[in-house]
Amino acid sequence: MKKFFFIFFFNIFLITNSSALIEIDITRGNLDPLPIAISPLHVDVKSENYEGMKIKELGENISKIIENNFRGTGLFNPLKKEAFVQKPDIAHLKPRFEDWRLIKAQALVTGKLLVKGEKLKVEFRLWDLAAAKEMTALAFTTTPSNWRRVAHIISDKIYERLTGEEGYFDTRIIYVAESGPKNQRIKKLAIMDQDGAKTKYLTLGNELVLTPRFNPTNQMVTYMSYFRNMPRVYLLDIETGTQEVVGNFPGMTFAPRFSPDGKKIVMSFAKDGNSDIYTMDLDSRVVERITDHSSIDTSPSFSPDGKFIAFNSDRSGLQQIYVMRSDGTGVKRITFGNGIYGTPVWSPRGDLIAFTKMRKGRFYIGVMRTDGSGERLLTENYYQEAPSWSPNGRVLVFYRETKSGSKGEGFSAKLWSIDITGYNERRLKTETDASDPSWSSLLSK
Amino acid sequence: MLRSLIYSITFHSILVLLTILSLPFMIREPIDLPPIVSVELIQITDKTSIPYAPKARKIIEETKKKEEERLVSEQAPPAAKAKEKPDRIPLPNEKKEEKQIVKKKQNPEEIKPEIRQASEFEKKEIIDTNQIAALIDKAKEEEAVKQKKTDKITQSTRKNSFATGLTLSQEDALRAQIFGCWSVPLGLPYDEDLLVRIKLKLKKDGTILKSEILDHQRMNRPGQKFYKVLAESALRAVRLCQPLKVPPTGYDKWKDLQLNFNPTEMLKG
Amino acid sequence: MMFNKNLKNILLVIFATLILSACSTAKKSGNIEGDVYTGKETVKFLASGVPDRVFFATNKSSLTTASRATLRKQATYLRKNKNLTVTIEGHADERGTREYNLALGERRANAARDYLMTYGISGKRISVISYGKEKPVNPASTPLAWSQNRRSVTVKVN
Repeated sequence: MKKFFFIFFFNIFLITNSSALIEIDITRGNLDPLPIAISPLHVDVKSENYEGMKIKELGENISKIIENNFRGTGLFNPLKKEAFVQKPDIAHLKPRFEDWRLIKAQALVTGKLLVKGEKLKVEFRLWDLAAAKEMTALAFTTTPSNWRRVAHIISDKIYERLTGEEGYFDTRIIYVAESGPKNQRIKKLAIMDQDGAKTKYLTLGNELVLTPRFNPTNQMVTYMSYFRNMPRVYLLDIETGTQEVVGNFPGMTFAPRFSPDGKKIVMSFAKDGNSDIYTMDLDSRVVERITDHSSIDTSPSFSPDGKFIAFNSDRSGLQQIYVMRSDGTGVKRITFGNGIYGTPVWSPRGDLIAFTKMRKGRFYIGVMRTDGSGERLLTENYYQEAPSWSPNGRVLVFYRETKSGSKGEGFSAKLWSIDITGYNERRLKTETDASDPSWSSLLSK
Repeated sequence: MLRSLIYSITFHSILVLLTILSLPFMIREPIDLPPIVSVELIQITDKTSIPYAPKARKIIEETKKKEEERLVSEQAPPAAKAKEKPDRIPLPNEKKEEKQIVKKKQNPEEIKPEIRQASEFEKKEIIDTNQIAALIDKAKEEEAVKQKKTDKITQSTRKNSFATGLTLSQEDALRAQIFGCWSVPLGLPYDEDLLVRIKLKLKKDGTILKSEILDHQRMNRPGQKFYKVLAESALRAVRLCQPLKVPPTGYDKWKDLQLNFNPTEMLKG
Repeated sequence: MMFNKNLKNILLVIFATLILSACSTAKKSGNIEGDVYTGKETVKFLASGVPDRVFFATNKSSLTTASRATLRKQATYLRKNKNLTVTIEGHADERGTREYNLALGERRANAARDYLMTYGISGKRISVISYGKEKPVNPASTPLAWSQNRRSVTVKVN
């Protein structure tokens, strides 16, 4: 009763108030990427040399990585360093906000680093230039060889503070590196940092390898290999390099993915020409059959809570996307649009499914809600498929192939990324041609 | 002769029309792509590859300024209207004072976090206020309900408030100025209800004496990071815009202003 | 001016019709029937008169009359050479998603295998492997190349 009276009173008093106050609705604004100044990190003069690293340039290099990460988001516009007025060391202590505002920056990143006793200590601050105050500040200590990761972690922290969602910079992408002519492709597993640095090849290219995917801790990769001409799903430990066949299937296994807890692998097994979906528990080695249908069932992908599996089936006649409970019950078709659909991948947030759509000889990457509603096609091209989510569910990476001439010339396969809003399509740098990307989760988690 | 020619022409044109309609390649399907997405795509390429963005923005701002100037000059006749109603002003002012007193009496525990966060939002404080926020969560739910109601009310009374406050063109000038200062956080989800209301106290020259986010407790509540980002961007906009382009007269009318920042339309594209 | 524009449009339509009709005649006279390759350009032979491969329509794994005839020849050949074992490689064209194509290749290879088995060839003599879209025989990006790539190939193992 008291409460009620209170609400009542409060209401009246707001009504009377609102008639006095001038209100202005601001529904438009500047949609350019946010101008941000990333000052080179100040290198402490007490820094020591470390294994031939150019310590003096380290501050500059770290800031360049941050800058590159931010430009890549399409949400930020890192300003040119030539225009910077304050020296890094002074800026880090107490920036002269007016000076930075002059070059139209709205946020400023400053930092300093010290290399001593085989340790790299980095601290950074993010400043709100309009409010003239610090927004966040953190310090890290690590080995100097880890400096790239430090740059990515700093990027993640700033991104999170400025956008309200987790970053995706301290991550890696595993993919298939391709070389050679189109009808004799050599394919190797490769892994790189999200920004294309530090590429490492995990197989030699003696056998065909396809569709690598990370486990939730990013230590293991499941992929398909034609080792000894037996197409099977394999498991690879990235740290130790050990590999093993998953299960003991009498035929081709393919399209593997980890369950969200990393304990199971879900995949297709083809028996007498018919592909169905199976899971195998990695500890107990128990194999379970999930679908049993005379059609092709493939490309399974778990929901992040592990309760559902989205998959690709042609039981209706053509490729469509279906969702079922993870025990195989309750199968429901979710795509009914014009065209055919493949490669469903559940988003890490759980609210969307990314897919490939084929229609009239064109290929689209799109997203839809998990019931198939709200389909949005993000990009159209001659050939593209296999989307993989960034860990924050904001960006998709996929591969795109070009049309080739009569002898296969002009053919290429490259990795591309696009924001789920359809903004900011860009090509990822890779040393070779590339396909089948899989994005890791945040490494520093 | 003429008749047969007419027959021939009509017959042929029908044939041609039929081919146009039935030939598959003539039926293009832009319908396939959701129009929203393709429009956005064009914007992106412009925007992400912009080494020259600052220049472009300058131009935009200049044109905006010109627009404002135009608006300001147009406002001359309505100014007389505004002058007609000085006698009304004391009323709302009195009421406001009443309100402030009432507030102090009724919920003192809510005022604490208000004061703090209005000044700064730093880590330690976030923790504190989160706890407080948790404690008074229920109260806030009620508040939210109230706000919905009052939103409607303010909308219906807005015209009235213009009449007592700024003229339409004066308001447009201010709005245009803030449009130019507000860098909308592009990463925000467009399907969430994000509305940030800022209350300003202004000096006579249009500089800001005090700015306060009305629902600022929400900023530090868990799961409201997007709201916080939006609120901070709105505060930045207001600060960068200083001094606001206020009318030369009628200080009493506009010394208290409320700005409602709502990016939903824009983010939907 | 207006008339000019109309004339242009009409000319365009006529031109396009000509192009289209040219296309369709090529289809009929050439090496694709419906969607299935019928030519011999890429075909090799297990023995004289025994073609090694059969072709499929887009997204299909059903055997055409011509494919059945080819497979019957293969069956006769396999019956004559009792010690021979074979692998049937299933392939798809490049116009599909990789994983689905692996399944599709598997289905095509098995369609051929099943047919050979109905003609008395033991399943033990026939192994099956799918390469999906990984091993195109014709690397071009044309309907003709795709039809040549939608195939299952019988390969001698020993």
